[in-house]
This record gives sequence, structure tokens and C-alpha cells, in this order.
Amino acid sequence: MQHIINFLIKYRNLLLYLVLFSVALVFTIQSHDYHRNSFIHSTGNVTGSVLETRNDIYSYFDLNRQNTYLSEENARLRMQLLALGDTLLGQESTLIFSDSLPFIVMPSRVIKNSYDKLDNYITLDVGTNEQIKTDMGVITSNGIVGIVDVSSKDFSRVISILNSEISLNAQIKGTSTIGSLTWDGTDPYKMNLMDVPRLARVSKGDTIITGRQSTTFPPDIQIGVIEDAMLIDNGSRYKIEVRLFNDMTDLGHVYVIKNRDKAAIKVIDTLSNE
Amino acid sequence: MNEFLKIVLRFIGLLILQIFVMDQINFLGFINPMIYILFITLYPFDNNRLAFLLLAFGYGLILDTFQDTGGAHAAACVTITFLRPVFLRLVYGESYLMKNLRILTSSLDRILLLVLMTTFVHHLTFYSFVIFDVSQILELFKMTLSVGIATVVVGMTLLLIMKPKRA
Repeated sequence: MQHIINFLIKYRNLLLYLVLFSVALVFTIQSHDYHRNSFIHSTGNVTGSVLETRNDIYSYFDLNRQNTYLSEENARLRMQLLALGDTLLGQESTLIFSDSLPFIVMPSRVIKNSYDKLDNYITLDVGTNEQIKTDMGVITSNGIVGIVDVSSKDFSRVISILNSEISLNAQIKGTSTIGSLTWDGTDPYKMNLMDVPRLARVSKGDTIITGRQSTTFPPDIQIGVIEDAMLIDNGSRYKIEVRLFNDMTDLGHVYVIKNRDKAAIKVIDTLSNE
Repeated sequence: MNEFLKIVLRFIGLLILQIFVMDQINFLGFINPMIYILFITLYPFDNNRLAFLLLAFGYGLILDTFQDTGGAHAAACVTITFLRPVFLRLVYGESYLMKNLRILTSSLDRILLLVLMTTFVHHLTFYSFVIFDVSQILELFKMTLSVGIATVVVGMTLLLIMKPKRA
């Protein structure tokens, strides 16, 4: 206490000067609008950055609770989504993929699935009543499912991608390298990308997406990720193992894609051969 | 006449001179010499600094109320009051208290130097408060220089008139 008083006495002139200076400053700021605004602006910046830092620290401690809240909201919204996807209530909607080309999709439910045979088929609960025709692509939010094979009035059969007869056009994301995606019947989670030339840039972890040459699927839909790449045919081509994003053993709701320009593209494609 | 009366006369006289004469000059449209600071310059050396600071603050505040500048005069006056020993030490040497000086009887160049330094610091502080914007620093220097020169000229004239003849 004595030290404080000694300090005050020793520097009394300076302290009084500073006090009077501040009082005069306050008078000036109070009496002119420009000064007041300028002062509030600069102090606002300082207090703003300090409070922002404080907020960052507080919100870090709150992360646990935020996490719980978000997962509950997630579950709630998923349930809502599933209810909407129910075909009894479902209707045609438009999804926009890349290229900003809107595609008309029909949500539907899988009522029969198989993945253990060499040639697998999936049955959906939509049919010609909903204008589902042959050769329409079927996808989920995770990846591709297959191509419509036959459709009756109420139901359709889809050739699953886990089918040895199917060969899809797929592309490595970020390059224009394309190949054919086939299934060898062993693992329902993996497919093979064939016919990729040796000079292509291939690395583990690259994403495989649908290419642009397909009329069935819109481009840039994610299919899977590269797990392994081997050179075959005396080292002239790659055989790439792709792990699918889609869990084919657990399909619930899918979307059937009605590509509107398919007829026109097909006509042009066949014209060039003549 | 005793010291106290002289101080009071200077106080009131310079204030009246400033408000009624100097502020009406408006030389070149914006220059008003600020000679009221001569009061602080001519204040006796051996003083109670605390009281002097408070007095200077009040003095500046009175002028603020007349000119509506909201505290700028007060801040500038307090600044030169606080820095006065520094100026005196620079002009008169380290032991200015011992020498029993009076400003008005000292040589002209010392008076000029003192007035110059005091005016410069005062005007700088004053116009910083008025302008309050770092980006307009050129304007600040222009005002300080022009008004400062006017103040020094008028102030020196006044001091020369008031200076007692060397008897």
C-alpha cells in the first residue's frame, strides 16, 4: 500500500497531466459526431477481435454438446428424408448434377436385391406407370446401382452393377482417362476398371466417376475409390481395383434417372457410323 | 504589484484579447492567432505544478466553451504546461530555477525560442484533436505551420510592447 502511495506521489505531475488529457479527450469525443464515430469505430475493432478470440475458446469447449445436437438433428432429418422418399408419397423430382444439367429422377424403393450370384438383379417398386423404361440408370446418393432391364406396370427389374454382363464407362476424376468398369463375381464391394492405358496417371485414393460417354448415367457421379492397380497384358494396360462407395448389400432407396436427351444423343451417335 | 494580481490580470486580459480580437481576424479565411498561450508561457517558474496543471486545464476549457471545440484547447494547454520545464531547461540551461530569472527581462532570442517551441507543441496537439484523422496529416502540418507563424508573430509583437525597458 505504501508503495502505491509512494508511486502516486512521485509521479503526481505526470498522472495529473494524463488524467486531465483524458478528460479533455472525452470532452472532444463527446461533443463532435465525427470524433465519436471515429473513436467508436476503432475501439469497436479492438473489442471485436478480442471478443472473437474469446468466442473461439468458448465454442471449442462447447464442441461436445454441439456434436450431440448435430447427430440428433441428422437422424431426425434422415427420417424425414426417408419418409419423403417413400414411393407411396413420392413423386418425380429434379436433381441437378454437375454440368448444371438438371436430370429428372424418380425415387423408388428396392424390394428385392441380390449380390451373391454371378449375375445379380434388383427389383424396384416403380414401373411403366411412372414412365420407367428400359436402359434408364439407377443411382443412390452414394453411387450407382445399375440399369433398368425390363419394366412392368408396377415393377422394374434392374441389372445390378454386380453383374458379369455389365460394362460401364467410368473415368478417373481429375483426368480424362476412361476405362470399362466390370465385375468379376468375387467381392460385392469391389469392381475392376479395365482397359486403362499404361501411360495414364493412376494413384491409390483417386476417385472413379461416371464418364461423359454414357447416355445412361449423368456424368461426374462418384462410383468408388482406387484401391490397387496392376499392369496386365505384358504391362500395356492397367487393371484397377475399385472399392465402391455404394454398399450394394444394403440398398433401401434409389433414384431412377430419366435422361431427357438420351434419344437425341443416340440418334447422333448412330448417324456417324453410316 | 504582487504576483497574484499580475497572474489574474494576464488570465483575464489574454482571454478577452483572444475572444474579442484574435478570433475575428480570420486571416486568409482560416488563420486565427492563438496568443492566449502566452499566459502559460509567462507563468512564474517556482509554482505548485499540480495547481498549475489544473489551472491550465480550466483555462483551456473556458476557451473551448467559447469556440465549441469540445476539449481540444484544454488538452493542448495541459500538454504545454506539463512540458514547460522541458522547454525552459532547453532554453535557459539546466539550472534555470536557480538563476532568479524573469522571462520578460531575458534576451530576445531566448524569448523567441521559448515562444516558438511552446506554440509549435500547442498547435500540434490542438489540431490533432480537431482533425482526429491520421490520414489527413498534411492538413495537420499545414494548419500548425500557418497558424503557428501567425501566433508567433502576434505574440512576439505583444511581448515586445509589454517588455519592461532595461532599467
